[in-house]
Amino acid sequence: MIDIALTEEQRDCLQELINVAMGQASDKLARFLNTFVHLNVPNIELVNFDSLPADFTENYAQQNLSVVSQGFYGNEGIRGESLLIYKVNTLDDVAKILGYEPGEISDNEQLTDISSILTTTFLNGLAELIENQLSYSAPRVVSSATSSLDDHLKQLSFDWDLALKVDISYMVTDYSFDCDMVLLIPGEAVKNIQLVLERILKEY
Amino acid sequence: MSIPVLICDDSALARKQVKKSLPQGWDIDVGMVTNGKEALDYLRQNQVGVLFLDLTMPEIDGIGVLEANKAEKLVDFVVVISADIQPEMKSKVEGLGALAFINKPVNTEKLSVILKEYGLL
Repeated sequence: MIDIALTEEQRDCLQELINVAMGQASDKLARFLNTFVHLNVPNIELVNFDSLPADFTENYAQQNLSVVSQGFYGNEGIRGESLLIYKVNTLDDVAKILGYEPGEISDNEQLTDISSILTTTFLNGLAELIENQLSYSAPRVVSSATSSLDDHLKQLSFDWDLALKVDISYMVTDYSFDCDMVLLIPGEAVKNIQLVLERILKEY
Repeated sequence: MSIPVLICDDSALARKQVKKSLPQGWDIDVGMVTNGKEALDYLRQNQVGVLFLDLTMPEIDGIGVLEANKAEKLVDFVVVISADIQPEMKSKVEGLGALAFINKPVNTEKLSVILKEYGLL
């Protein structure tokens, strides 16, 4: 297990970059949905991948979940996987938010639709702030409504060291839905992110 | 005489970004606070000419500061510098008396345009 901790300055820097990227993503989402999106201060946390299931098990106990996974790859060795975790009972609200009629598209299509908007607008904003460019793999639904989050995480067939947890709560004026976004980042990419953060901190 | 200005943001990086983006040669004294509650405490005890205000903050957020300022008239010029850039948020802060709205990340060009527009520079 690689032990990589962010300094307080690096953490503050990353938090601010994420805040700005989140603001841009919310603005895009609000325009797309033609509504207002309430923005919270997103909480970030770096955790060892091993302890992630326990963290989430508590939060999602007794819940059916849907998880959408999307990989991202950038310059300077920055890469990872974004997970968006939804409670299944919010799916109808997501459909209403997206403006679909009942039965118009499948649950999985809905989820990849909204996940792609949330993930790519957020990560594109973040990439621009750190003068990087990201490519994405196609989003895929890695869950079934009946399996536990533990199983979902085990199904992800990569070898992650650390996870950057970003708790996003999107509240839309007319409907509310919450989802958690988790960025999974391998250890060497965390080191590359630290280099980028140090470069930004030196500018100020 | 130097103009007293106050920078209010919960992020150390964001405060530094604002400070570094202030135009060279602008005769000012810079104070810094880290949330809306500290900003209001500071404004009630000190004369401030221009407040640079973040919106999403713990304790009291930027909207709370604007509401208190509207009632108490603590500072004339408030420039909001925010990551929450939705049009509805912009009109909300303008309705609460903010002079201008700058999308994060801030830079010298964005600040100078606004400061010149209002004759502060």
